[in-house]
Amino acid sequence: MKKKWLYLLGILAVIGVIAAVLVYFFVYNKPHKDYSKAKPEVEIEAVALFESFRNDAQAASAEYNGKVVAISGEITGVEQTDGLTILVMALDEGMFGSEGIRCTMIPELASAAVATPPGSKVTVKGLLTGYNETDVILEHCSLVE
Amino acid sequence: MKRLTFLLVLFTFALSAASAQKYVTKNGHIRFFSSTPVEDIEAHNRQVNSAFDQQTGDFVFRVLMKSFQFEKALMQEHFNENYVESDKFPNATFTGKVTNASDIDFSKNGVYNVTVEGDLTIKGVTKKVSEKGTFEVKDGKITGKSTFNVVVEDFGIKIPGAVSKNIAKSIQIDVDVTMDKVAK
Repeated sequence: MKKKWLYLLGILAVIGVIAAVLVYFFVYNKPHKDYSKAKPEVEIEAVALFESFRNDAQAASAEYNGKVVAISGEITGVEQTDGLTILVMALDEGMFGSEGIRCTMIPELASAAVATPPGSKVTVKGLLTGYNETDVILEHCSLVE
Repeated sequence: MKRLTFLLVLFTFALSAASAQKYVTKNGHIRFFSSTPVEDIEAHNRQVNSAFDQQTGDFVFRVLMKSFQFEKALMQEHFNENYVESDKFPNATFTGKVTNASDIDFSKNGVYNVTVEGDLTIKGVTKKVSEKGTFEVKDGKITGKSTFNVVVEDFGIKIPGAVSKNIAKSIQIDVDVTMDKVAK
Protein backbone atom coordinates (compact mmCIF):
# COMPACT_ATOMS: atom_id res chain seq x y z
CA MET A 1 0.00 0.00 0.00
CA LYS A 2 2.71 2.41 1.04
CA LYS A 3 4.63 1.59 -2.10
CA LYS A 4 1.69 2.57 -4.28
CA TRP A 5 1.47 5.97 -2.60
CA LEU A 6 5.13 6.63 -3.16
CA TYR A 7 4.74 5.61 -6.76
CA LEU A 8 1.85 8.04 -7.25
CA LEU A 9 3.73 10.84 -5.53
CA GLY A 10 6.70 10.22 -7.78
CA ILE A 11 4.57 10.50 -10.91
CA LEU A 12 2.97 13.71 -9.62
CA ALA A 13 6.39 15.19 -8.90
CA VAL A 14 7.62 14.39 -12.40
CA ILE A 15 4.49 15.95 -13.95
CA GLY A 16 4.96 19.01 -11.74
CA VAL A 17 8.56 19.48 -12.85
CA ILE A 18 7.64 19.08 -16.52
CA ALA A 19 4.80 21.61 -16.13
CA ALA A 20 7.12 24.09 -14.42
CA VAL A 21 9.68 23.77 -17.19
CA LEU A 22 7.01 24.22 -19.87
CA VAL A 23 5.57 27.29 -18.16
CA TYR A 24 9.05 28.75 -17.76
CA PHE A 25 9.91 28.38 -21.44
CA PHE A 26 6.57 29.05 -23.09
CA VAL A 27 4.91 31.58 -20.80
CA TYR A 28 7.40 33.39 -18.62
CA ASN A 29 10.25 33.26 -21.11
CA LYS A 30 8.31 33.09 -24.33
CA PRO A 31 10.32 34.67 -27.10
CA HIS A 32 9.47 37.94 -28.80
CA LYS A 33 7.46 37.47 -31.94
CA ASP A 34 9.53 37.32 -35.11
CA TYR A 35 7.95 40.26 -36.91
CA SER A 36 9.93 39.64 -40.09
CA LYS A 37 7.92 36.43 -40.52
CA ALA A 38 4.59 37.84 -39.39
CA LYS A 39 1.86 38.19 -41.98
CA PRO A 40 0.76 41.83 -42.23
CA GLU A 41 -2.76 42.46 -40.95
CA VAL A 42 -3.00 45.69 -42.93
CA GLU A 43 -1.45 46.75 -46.23
CA ILE A 44 -1.57 50.45 -46.95
CA GLU A 45 0.08 53.34 -48.81
CA ALA A 46 2.28 55.59 -46.67
CA VAL A 47 0.36 58.75 -47.54
CA ALA A 48 -3.03 57.23 -46.75
CA LEU A 49 -1.81 55.90 -43.39
CA PHE A 50 -0.21 59.18 -42.40
CA GLU A 51 -3.27 61.21 -43.38
CA SER A 52 -5.60 58.98 -41.41
CA PHE A 53 -3.54 59.54 -38.25
CA ARG A 54 -3.35 63.23 -38.91
CA ASN A 55 -7.06 63.66 -39.54
CA ASP A 56 -8.28 61.59 -36.61
CA ALA A 57 -5.49 60.24 -34.43
CA GLN A 58 -7.87 58.51 -32.06
CA ALA A 59 -9.75 56.59 -34.71
CA ALA A 60 -6.53 55.68 -36.54
CA SER A 61 -4.88 54.55 -33.28
CA ALA A 62 -7.83 52.29 -32.56
CA GLU A 63 -7.59 50.87 -36.04
CA TYR A 64 -3.84 50.39 -36.49
CA ASN A 65 -1.97 50.47 -33.15
CA GLY A 66 -0.46 47.14 -32.17
CA LYS A 67 -0.96 45.64 -35.62
CA VAL A 68 1.59 44.34 -38.09
CA VAL A 69 1.29 46.78 -40.97
CA ALA A 70 2.92 46.73 -44.41
CA ILE A 71 3.45 50.24 -45.76
CA SER A 72 4.30 51.13 -49.34
CA GLY A 73 5.98 54.43 -49.98
CA GLU A 74 9.09 56.32 -50.91
CA ILE A 75 12.16 56.20 -48.63
CA THR A 76 13.39 59.70 -47.93
CA GLY A 77 16.23 58.70 -45.66
CA VAL A 78 17.77 56.09 -43.40
CA GLU A 79 19.07 57.30 -40.02
CA GLN A 80 21.63 55.44 -37.98
CA THR A 81 22.05 56.43 -34.36
CA ASP A 82 22.79 54.58 -31.17
CA GLY A 83 23.11 51.27 -33.01
CA LEU A 84 19.62 51.72 -34.43
CA THR A 85 18.59 51.98 -38.04
CA ILE A 86 15.47 53.99 -38.72
CA LEU A 87 13.90 54.05 -42.14
CA VAL A 88 12.13 57.35 -42.74
CA MET A 89 9.33 58.19 -45.13
CA ALA A 90 8.97 61.94 -44.74
CA LEU A 91 5.70 63.29 -46.03
CA ASP A 92 5.55 66.78 -44.62
CA GLU A 93 7.59 69.50 -42.98
CA GLY A 94 6.56 70.51 -39.46
CA MET A 95 7.81 72.54 -36.53
CA PHE A 96 10.25 69.82 -35.52
CA GLY A 97 11.54 68.99 -38.98
CA SER A 98 10.18 66.33 -41.25
CA GLU A 99 7.02 64.44 -40.36
CA GLY A 100 5.92 61.11 -41.70
CA ILE A 101 6.56 57.48 -40.97
CA ARG A 102 9.54 56.22 -38.99
CA CYS A 103 10.40 52.53 -38.83
CA THR A 104 12.99 51.01 -36.51
CA MET A 105 14.53 48.14 -38.47
CA ILE A 106 15.25 44.72 -36.97
CA PRO A 107 19.06 44.97 -36.46
CA GLU A 108 19.88 41.79 -38.42
CA LEU A 109 17.83 43.02 -41.36
CA ALA A 110 18.87 46.66 -41.26
CA SER A 111 21.56 46.46 -43.93
CA ALA A 112 18.95 46.04 -46.67
CA ALA A 113 17.40 49.37 -45.66
CA VAL A 114 20.79 51.07 -45.51
CA ALA A 115 21.58 49.82 -49.02
CA THR A 116 18.35 51.22 -50.45
CA PRO A 117 18.89 54.68 -51.92
CA PRO A 118 16.53 57.52 -50.94
CA GLY A 119 13.78 57.97 -53.48
CA SER A 120 13.22 54.23 -53.89
CA LYS A 121 9.71 52.85 -53.64
CA VAL A 122 9.60 50.13 -51.00
CA THR A 123 7.25 48.17 -48.82
CA VAL A 124 8.23 48.01 -45.19
CA LYS A 125 6.56 45.82 -42.61
CA GLY A 126 6.52 46.13 -38.84
CA LEU A 127 4.60 46.58 -35.61
CA LEU A 128 2.80 49.92 -35.59
CA THR A 129 3.16 51.37 -32.10
CA GLY A 130 1.36 54.66 -32.59
CA TYR A 131 1.40 58.32 -33.56
CA ASN A 132 3.27 60.88 -31.48
CA GLU A 133 1.68 63.91 -33.12
CA THR A 134 4.50 64.27 -35.62
CA ASP A 135 5.21 60.76 -36.87
CA VAL A 136 3.71 57.33 -37.17
CA ILE A 137 6.12 54.95 -35.44
CA LEU A 138 6.81 51.32 -36.29
CA GLU A 139 9.12 48.89 -34.50
CA HIS A 140 10.64 45.54 -35.54
CA CYS A 141 10.58 46.45 -39.22
CA SER A 142 11.87 44.67 -42.28
CA LEU A 143 11.71 45.33 -45.99
CA VAL A 144 9.24 43.22 -47.91
CA GLU A 145 10.65 41.77 -51.12
CA MET B 1 26.10 108.09 -39.52
CA LYS B 2 22.37 107.63 -39.22
CA ARG B 3 22.54 104.97 -41.82
CA LEU B 4 25.27 103.16 -39.97
CA THR B 5 23.19 103.17 -36.78
CA PHE B 6 20.24 101.80 -38.71
CA LEU B 7 22.38 99.04 -40.14
CA LEU B 8 23.77 98.25 -36.73
CA VAL B 9 20.26 98.00 -35.27
CA LEU B 10 19.21 95.79 -38.15
CA PHE B 11 22.24 93.62 -37.64
CA THR B 12 21.52 93.23 -33.93
CA PHE B 13 17.94 92.23 -34.72
CA ALA B 14 19.12 89.71 -37.23
CA LEU B 15 21.49 88.26 -34.65
CA SER B 16 18.85 87.94 -31.93
CA ALA B 17 16.45 86.36 -34.38
CA ALA B 18 19.10 83.84 -35.33
CA SER B 19 19.65 82.95 -31.69
CA ALA B 20 15.98 82.02 -31.23
CA GLN B 21 16.96 78.43 -31.73
CA LYS B 22 15.08 75.22 -31.38
CA TYR B 23 16.66 71.87 -30.72
CA VAL B 24 14.86 68.66 -31.54
CA THR B 25 15.30 64.93 -31.76
CA LYS B 26 13.12 62.01 -32.70
CA ASN B 27 15.63 59.43 -31.51
CA GLY B 28 15.69 60.23 -27.84
CA HIS B 29 16.29 57.37 -25.41
CA ILE B 30 14.27 56.73 -22.27
CA ARG B 31 14.94 53.71 -20.08
CA PHE B 32 12.99 52.64 -17.10
CA PHE B 33 14.24 50.37 -14.46
CA SER B 34 12.44 48.55 -11.70
CA SER B 35 14.51 46.82 -9.09
CA THR B 36 13.30 44.46 -6.39
CA PRO B 37 15.02 41.62 -4.56
CA VAL B 38 13.02 39.21 -6.75
CA GLU B 39 13.97 40.60 -10.14
CA ASP B 40 15.14 43.59 -12.13
CA ILE B 41 13.05 44.75 -15.05
CA GLU B 42 14.09 47.30 -17.62
CA ALA B 43 12.72 48.65 -20.84
CA HIS B 44 14.03 50.97 -23.51
CA ASN B 45 12.36 53.39 -25.88
CA ARG B 46 14.64 54.82 -28.54
CA GLN B 47 12.13 56.74 -30.60
CA VAL B 48 11.37 59.55 -28.16
CA ASN B 49 10.40 62.97 -29.48
CA SER B 50 11.77 65.92 -27.63
CA ALA B 51 12.12 69.61 -28.38
CA PHE B 52 13.75 72.48 -26.55
CA ASP B 53 13.40 76.19 -27.24
CA GLN B 54 16.51 78.06 -26.24
CA GLN B 55 14.79 81.43 -25.91
CA THR B 56 11.77 80.47 -23.82
CA GLY B 57 13.25 77.40 -22.12
CA ASP B 58 10.22 75.37 -23.26
CA PHE B 59 10.99 71.65 -23.14
CA VAL B 60 8.60 68.98 -24.35
CA PHE B 61 8.65 65.18 -24.66
CA ARG B 62 6.36 62.77 -26.40
CA VAL B 63 6.80 59.07 -25.72
CA LEU B 64 4.90 56.23 -27.34
CA MET B 65 4.24 53.62 -24.69
CA LYS B 66 4.12 50.74 -27.17
CA SER B 67 7.65 51.57 -28.33
CA PHE B 68 9.12 50.43 -25.00
CA GLN B 69 11.07 47.22 -25.58
CA PHE B 70 11.40 44.68 -22.79
CA GLU B 71 13.71 41.75 -22.53
CA LYS B 72 10.79 39.37 -22.08
CA ALA B 73 7.80 39.40 -24.41
CA LEU B 74 5.45 38.57 -21.55
CA MET B 75 6.53 41.63 -19.57
CA GLN B 76 5.96 43.83 -22.59
CA GLU B 77 2.45 42.43 -22.95
CA HIS B 78 1.63 42.97 -19.30
CA PHE B 79 3.05 46.47 -19.42
CA ASN B 80 0.94 47.51 -22.41
CA GLU B 81 -2.24 45.65 -21.58
CA ASN B 82 -2.51 45.74 -17.81
CA TYR B 83 -0.35 48.49 -16.41
CA VAL B 84 -0.30 51.48 -18.74
CA GLU B 85 -3.21 50.47 -21.00
CA SER B 86 -1.40 51.79 -24.03
CA ASP B 87 -4.35 51.21 -26.34
CA LYS B 88 -6.30 53.77 -24.34
CA PHE B 89 -3.34 56.03 -23.54
CA PRO B 90 -0.83 55.66 -26.39
CA ASN B 91 1.44 58.57 -25.42
CA ALA B 92 3.16 59.75 -22.29
CA THR B 93 4.00 63.44 -22.44
CA PHE B 94 5.98 66.04 -20.63
CA THR B 95 5.42 69.75 -21.16
CA GLY B 96 7.51 72.14 -19.16
CA LYS B 97 10.46 74.43 -18.98
CA VAL B 98 14.13 74.48 -18.21
CA THR B 99 13.84 77.06 -15.45
CA ASN B 100 17.45 78.21 -15.66
CA ALA B 101 17.84 78.21 -19.46
CA SER B 102 19.09 81.81 -19.35
CA ASP B 103 22.16 80.67 -17.36
CA ILE B 104 23.33 78.44 -20.20
CA ASP B 105 25.78 79.71 -22.77
CA PHE B 106 24.65 77.80 -25.85
CA SER B 107 27.54 79.10 -27.90
CA LYS B 108 30.10 77.42 -25.66
CA ASN B 109 30.71 73.72 -25.24
CA GLY B 110 30.21 72.57 -21.69
CA VAL B 111 28.04 70.72 -19.20
CA TYR B 112 25.42 72.73 -17.35
CA ASN B 113 23.16 71.74 -14.48
CA VAL B 114 19.51 72.29 -15.28
CA THR B 115 16.23 72.18 -13.44
CA VAL B 116 13.24 71.06 -15.43
CA GLU B 117 9.72 71.77 -14.22
CA GLY B 118 6.39 70.96 -15.75
CA ASP B 119 3.55 68.54 -16.27
CA LEU B 120 4.22 64.83 -16.70
CA THR B 121 1.30 62.85 -18.11
CA ILE B 122 1.26 59.06 -17.97
CA LYS B 123 -1.86 56.99 -18.49
CA GLY B 124 -3.98 60.12 -18.69
CA VAL B 125 -2.92 61.35 -15.25
CA THR B 126 -1.02 64.64 -15.07
CA LYS B 127 1.38 65.47 -12.24
CA LYS B 128 3.58 68.47 -11.62
CA VAL B 129 7.20 67.43 -11.48
CA SER B 130 10.50 69.17 -10.89
CA GLU B 131 13.67 67.26 -11.70
CA LYS B 132 17.36 67.97 -11.93
CA GLY B 133 19.53 67.02 -14.86
CA THR B 134 22.31 68.19 -17.13
CA PHE B 135 22.56 69.81 -20.53
CA GLU B 136 25.74 69.17 -22.43
CA VAL B 137 26.29 71.70 -25.18
CA LYS B 138 28.60 70.30 -27.82
CA ASP B 139 29.16 71.67 -31.30
CA GLY B 140 25.64 73.04 -31.66
CA LYS B 141 23.96 69.97 -30.19
CA ILE B 142 22.45 69.58 -26.76
CA THR B 143 22.44 66.31 -24.86
CA GLY B 144 19.94 66.40 -22.03
CA LYS B 145 20.28 63.79 -19.29
CA SER B 146 18.31 63.14 -16.16
CA THR B 147 17.55 60.32 -13.77
CA PHE B 148 14.53 60.48 -11.54
CA ASN B 149 11.92 58.28 -9.94
CA VAL B 150 8.23 57.91 -10.60
CA VAL B 151 5.84 56.35 -8.11
CA VAL B 152 3.59 54.20 -10.28
CA GLU B 153 0.59 54.60 -7.99
CA ASP B 154 0.64 58.36 -8.58
CA PHE B 155 -0.35 57.71 -12.17
CA GLY B 156 -3.10 55.25 -11.39
CA ILE B 157 -1.00 52.21 -12.30
CA LYS B 158 -2.03 49.27 -10.14
CA ILE B 159 0.30 46.35 -9.62
CA PRO B 160 -1.64 43.16 -8.84
CA GLY B 161 -0.82 41.40 -5.58
CA ALA B 162 0.61 38.34 -7.32
CA VAL B 163 3.50 40.28 -8.83
CA SER B 164 3.76 43.07 -6.26
CA LYS B 165 7.09 41.62 -5.10
CA ASN B 166 8.46 41.63 -8.64
CA ILE B 167 7.72 45.23 -9.58
CA ALA B 168 9.06 48.21 -7.67
CA LYS B 169 6.63 50.82 -6.35
CA SER B 170 9.00 53.52 -7.51
CA ILE B 171 10.46 53.16 -10.99
CA GLN B 172 13.70 54.78 -12.05
CA ILE B 173 13.53 56.74 -15.30
CA ASP B 174 16.69 57.59 -17.25
CA VAL B 175 16.38 60.20 -19.95
CA ASP B 176 19.07 60.70 -22.59
CA VAL B 177 18.22 62.91 -25.55
CA THR B 178 20.65 64.41 -28.05
CA MET B 179 18.91 67.24 -29.85
CA ASP B 180 20.01 68.87 -33.08
CA LYS B 181 19.59 72.53 -33.84
CA VAL B 182 16.86 73.40 -36.30
CA ALA B 183 16.49 76.71 -38.07
CA LYS B 184 13.26 78.40 -37.14
